[in-house]
Amino acid sequence: MLFELIDWKHKSTVLRDGTRIITWVSAGSAVLAVVFGLLLAGSEDSSGTNLEIHRWAGIATMVLSLVTVFTLRSGNRSLFRGLLLTTVFGVSFAGHYGAMLTHGEDYLTSVLPGADKTVEPEGETEADFVLTNNGALTPEQIQNLNVEVRTILAHNCYSCHGEAKMKGELRLDSKDAIMKGGEHGVVVVPNHPDKSELIRRISLPKGHKEAMPTKGKRLTEKEVKLLQFWIEKGAPWPDGKEKSIYRVADLAPRTPQVPAATTELNKPVDLFVNAYFQKNKGSWKPVVDDRTYIRRVYLDIIGLLPAPEKVDAFVADTRPDKRELLAKELLSQNDAYAQHWMTFWNDALRNDYDGTGYITGGRFGISKWLYASLLDNKPYNWFVKELISPNKESEGFIKGIKWRGTINSSQRTEMQAAQNVAQVFLGLNLKCASCHDSFISDWKLADAYAFANIFADTLLEINRCDKPTGKIAGTRMLYPELGEIEVNASTEKRLRQLADFLVQPKDGRLYRTLVNRVWAQLMGRGIVEPVDAMDNLPWSQDLLDWLASDFVTNGYDVKKLIYTIVTSKTYQLPSTSVKDAGDMMANDFKFTGMVRRRLTAEQFADAISTSFTPMYADTALALKKLPEDIQSRLPFPRAAFVKNDPFLTSLGRPNRETVSTGRTSQANLLQALELTNGSKFTETLKAGSKVWKSQYPTSDSLVTALYRKALGRSPVPKELAAAKKILGPTPSEEGIQDLVWAIALVPEFQLIY
Amino acid sequence: MNIQWNRREFLQRASAATMAALAAGAPISNLLTSCRGKAGANSSADTVILLWMAGGMAHTETFDPKAYTPFEKDMEGNRVLSTFKSFPTKLDGIHFSDGLQSIGQVMDKGTLIRSYVAADMGHILHSRHQYHWHTCYEPPQTVAAPHMGSWIAKELGPKNPVIPAFIDIGQRFTVGEAEELKAFHTAGFLGNEFGPFFIPDPSQGLESVRPPVGMDAKRFERRNQLYNELINNSPVGEFGSDYQRESLKRSMEQAYALLNSPESKAFDLSTEPKKSYDIYNTGRFGLGCLLARRLTEQGARFISVTTEYEPFKGWDTHENGHTRLQDMKKQIDGPIAQLIKDLDEKGLLDRTMVVLASEFSRDMMVEGRPDAKVKEQVAQPDILSDLKFYGMHRHFTDGCSMLMFGGGIKKGFVYGKTADERPCKTIENPVKIDGIHQTIYHALGIPPDTQYEIEKRPFYTTPDGKGLAVKELLI
Repeated sequence: MLFELIDWKHKSTVLRDGTRIITWVSAGSAVLAVVFGLLLAGSEDSSGTNLEIHRWAGIATMVLSLVTVFTLRSGNRSLFRGLLLTTVFGVSFAGHYGAMLTHGEDYLTSVLPGADKTVEPEGETEADFVLTNNGALTPEQIQNLNVEVRTILAHNCYSCHGEAKMKGELRLDSKDAIMKGGEHGVVVVPNHPDKSELIRRISLPKGHKEAMPTKGKRLTEKEVKLLQFWIEKGAPWPDGKEKSIYRVADLAPRTPQVPAATTELNKPVDLFVNAYFQKNKGSWKPVVDDRTYIRRVYLDIIGLLPAPEKVDAFVADTRPDKRELLAKELLSQNDAYAQHWMTFWNDALRNDYDGTGYITGGRFGISKWLYASLLDNKPYNWFVKELISPNKESEGFIKGIKWRGTINSSQRTEMQAAQNVAQVFLGLNLKCASCHDSFISDWKLADAYAFANIFADTLLEINRCDKPTGKIAGTRMLYPELGEIEVNASTEKRLRQLADFLVQPKDGRLYRTLVNRVWAQLMGRGIVEPVDAMDNLPWSQDLLDWLASDFVTNGYDVKKLIYTIVTSKTYQLPSTSVKDAGDMMANDFKFTGMVRRRLTAEQFADAISTSFTPMYADTALALKKLPEDIQSRLPFPRAAFVKNDPFLTSLGRPNRETVSTGRTSQANLLQALELTNGSKFTETLKAGSKVWKSQYPTSDSLVTALYRKALGRSPVPKELAAAKKILGPTPSEEGIQDLVWAIALVPEFQLIY
Repeated sequence: MNIQWNRREFLQRASAATMAALAAGAPISNLLTSCRGKAGANSSADTVILLWMAGGMAHTETFDPKAYTPFEKDMEGNRVLSTFKSFPTKLDGIHFSDGLQSIGQVMDKGTLIRSYVAADMGHILHSRHQYHWHTCYEPPQTVAAPHMGSWIAKELGPKNPVIPAFIDIGQRFTVGEAEELKAFHTAGFLGNEFGPFFIPDPSQGLESVRPPVGMDAKRFERRNQLYNELINNSPVGEFGSDYQRESLKRSMEQAYALLNSPESKAFDLSTEPKKSYDIYNTGRFGLGCLLARRLTEQGARFISVTTEYEPFKGWDTHENGHTRLQDMKKQIDGPIAQLIKDLDEKGLLDRTMVVLASEFSRDMMVEGRPDAKVKEQVAQPDILSDLKFYGMHRHFTDGCSMLMFGGGIKKGFVYGKTADERPCKTIENPVKIDGIHQTIYHALGIPPDTQYEIEKRPFYTTPDGKGLAVKELLI
């Protein structure tokens, strides 16, 4: 603001040309502006060329303005004028870049018409090409233009003029319907955009009674132009099958050729990433050091911090393949592995030890089955099979949560099963289509019902937006090419068929979905995002396809997949800092390495437990829902096996009422409060401080031990000094509590670097 | 809002709330795309206090009394519409049930709604109707639906940066149906940041906002200083900043500011003058009202105070309805009336909306609604052989009473009507939950079509964005 104010002052200099005092004031304020500017730039972590330009232009302008003042004093009027003009130019130039910094690069263009940032559909460039075309359109161009048109209509019009609603008796979701028009007659007159009601309505100014759409955002200028162009060309519709307006990923598996090995790289993952880097101007940075690697891989595979002795031994180890050996060793710790990955699968399969539904017998846990499956590293095809075509122990997933009373028809347990199977295993959103034809994909209401019927003892009547339609959808797979369900078979048999069909190698989607989930867990971001929307564009199709194909070749072995990833050079790249959480999901995301992640609630609690003192007592374990021998398998009461509590909730453990496939790395106030004065953490600190005080007589030994356990390194001298300031020469209980609290709260402890 | 680009954001929408949100770190829901007008414009209220009558408050025994029939041994239950006498209130021709005299005296400051119609969800489960009341969505849902308080916290942020935007007073989660209660006491897909700040016991409220028990201010400050030193000296600082690290640091700073703020004294009920404290001190609910008032004075955004739901307790009367309601009324009458008076006297009622509601009503005979009766949960005799059967023991969804005060709500106004004979169902101006939510949002300046895209579908404050404010209730 100060900047702007000063810039404004500069401009007033121009208006009152020749005023000596003002020239002086401006020069003074220019100096001030530069000083403040430099201070501000130093206090923030903004950077980039705009800042550089702004900085140097600002300094140059200041110098200019000073020279101008002296010129004025010297009396050389024409030189003064020239310099003043240059200064004014400098002010505008520096000011412009300053504004770009504070208001964003688009601060001028954003107010121009047509500059609204809307997400343009794929294939935009093709349409641009079409728009400049003056002659007849080729069939391919017609196809592309048509896709564009339907995309615009789908995003802006279908919700009121589609299958669910038909306002003004008008539907715009098929060729026939568009040509037929609505209650007021035709809306499209081929070759005559000027006579077409559709164009007139969308071109009316916002707020006009007849302007369309009435709700939501207006069509962009470009979208209107495209529709005009389409009508001008005779509103052509391609023959034969319509191309989907949504991106639809291939179902079939694909095994891309692994790029040739280089002198530095020989693992397929790295070679695919190398090819990606070459195409996207990425580059290989040196891999992380041993301490960073061991902490990362421990947390990723078994969810625990490495003990200090393990870290020392690993650092001292001189074997060239020690990282591979470490990964192997961790993956062979079957219990520890299962105990960590339990959390991920509990979230995804919305399995919990407590929760709605249990009270009325409307819900079943699968914890025992899940633990055993992870312990055995059950091949993923079997894992999926047993969840879909379940035994008593694993039926909880497809049984869903049944609430007492009447419920929305899109939430019948059969429909829940259809939605959850589609989401978790196929990365496919069937939720919209279970109420009405989807507005975001080609899935229809009937598809969702036909799929849900596989889970149903009696065929479900189709309900549209919770209103019965009297229709029945039949029984079929979402992808009929995977197989045909026997309509009259028993539910049990249908589920067996469904499971068999889904896990076939030719169902590439199932395996792409899984490898992408595991990749996202280990790398902080999926190859496709969101991980539940597998039709989205991957940042490397080849890498995704190869991982899925390799996974099948390797016998659906999740541990092997993890091994492949964590031993790649790609995984060992330095972690990436993402400035804005929103950038993570951006369409133009560029992969540069693992994205930093926050410890999950469970990892955090376990890290406190191993580096300081156990957070949970045995009594906190949800024993009734867990394998009988779980206590003998746990090194200490790990947080994944305790019932959810306010502490874990605040750190991000979801209530598992719905499928949840990712945790956030974003911290928030309620969390900070829980950690700062919450009783759970405070009590833990108190209990642990007693033990530590008795074990460590000197502050030096205590601080060093704590740092090694918590952060895998010794404290640097400044840290030691700060810690000792609070502990005194001999540690007090309060001092220990405060030190542990502070260490647990620093980003180095809470994040995976 | 993104924390790295402070300057841009700062200039575009610098306000206290924004600063607070900045300090708390960018919320996860920024990843959600929103599509709506600007919140907070043309508002008539800044703060909402929800007084929750948990367990089903019988309208005929409280704010909509019908003919009184005293108990006689072996009487027919069907003869009883109200088990209390009624008395006139400050409003002409409007009577309340005995025991609510104090509230009756403040009715010139608010609106009485006698026509709230709860959802017909078949078999009654309290927590399910409560879920519906608080989120406007019937459970189960495909995505986690946010509590009304979370929507408000998300759209408006805290009013005072050091008072959490959504405070929930009085509910413990160690009772029956706790899991069902947890399912809606959540910000759902909006993200934890907008979740409730729980104060189960209002007399212990201070403990939630001061340094941990046993830690004096000096030590608290020293500890925080150490934390800052360790961050500054940590070698990973060289890796540069990222949103994860920045959000951690900022939320810690915010927590520190909150725990050290003078406003946190508002949580300390022991500083309330004795005379006033005694009026409110009818138990946890009454003290919750007092805490709500004190927090409102300091700039709270949304506060829920509940009589607490616990199966077969509180308003959930399956026997001894008459006797137990005497106690319930004692709990609420004085504190609620005093809350309204205090807010009014302090000039806060104009911008503070107080809403009293319950998930449904109760009746002696009808379980569910007259045209869709459902299986009863606890057998009730037709002949009242004992005083314990005298009361409204069945769940009734077709006509319930609500109160609304302040924040743009009409004064001395009555809306809706129920029949004077059984079934005492709504016969005029039915009000549904989406209307209630939208009325509250309207007063706060939150547009009715507020929505976020979650899993690519639009999720509105009220289903399909269809709900509309009940304009008749507003000034």
